[in-house]
Amino acid sequence: MPEIVLSVAAGWATLLLVAGGLLLLRARDTLHRILALDVIVTIVVALLTLLSYLRDVSYYIDAALALALLSFTATLVAARHVHGQGPFS
Amino acid sequence: MILDVLAIALIGAGLTLATIGLYGLLRMPAIFDQLHAAGLVTGPATLLILLAAIATGSAEIITSAALVFIFVLITAPLSSHAIAQAAYRARDLGEDDDR
Repeated sequence: MPEIVLSVAAGWATLLLVAGGLLLLRARDTLHRILALDVIVTIVVALLTLLSYLRDVSYYIDAALALALLSFTATLVAARHVHGQGPFS
Repeated sequence: MILDVLAIALIGAGLTLATIGLYGLLRMPAIFDQLHAAGLVTGPATLLILLAAIATGSAEIITSAALVFIFVLITAPLSSHAIAQAAYRARDLGEDDDR
């Protein structure tokens, strides 16, 4: 893939990350914050994937997989914790 | 050459969907409306960008991207559902009528 396209795409994803940060700052309550963090992690996964294409190494996508796993677990547990439930109840 | 064009189109479409989703997230205050917009970012946008791995021609990158693709395909709806369920319960308890 052309390097310039990937560089522009990575820059675009970084701007989206800034918008995600704005969303997190504007969040009114815990659920909005959980949703904003979920979206931010998704954008970071996309950014790591683009970096992997740009540098032609697969390690970034492995990091993205670990991040997605952590984010999924954190979202599930935090969403259940909001109303006093445990992760397995 | 054709794969390159396809990959550029996939990345462009993915980033456009993510931009539309984030615009929706910033525009709409209610949590259920936000979940609708977030579904665009956490699902199709990421999957399209991961699909562009086919143009790299590297077996390692394509395998890793396929794993993340399957993982995101399964977990993105589950995360959204967990948040929606928590918001629904909060509405039932009358904690915030503006949801």
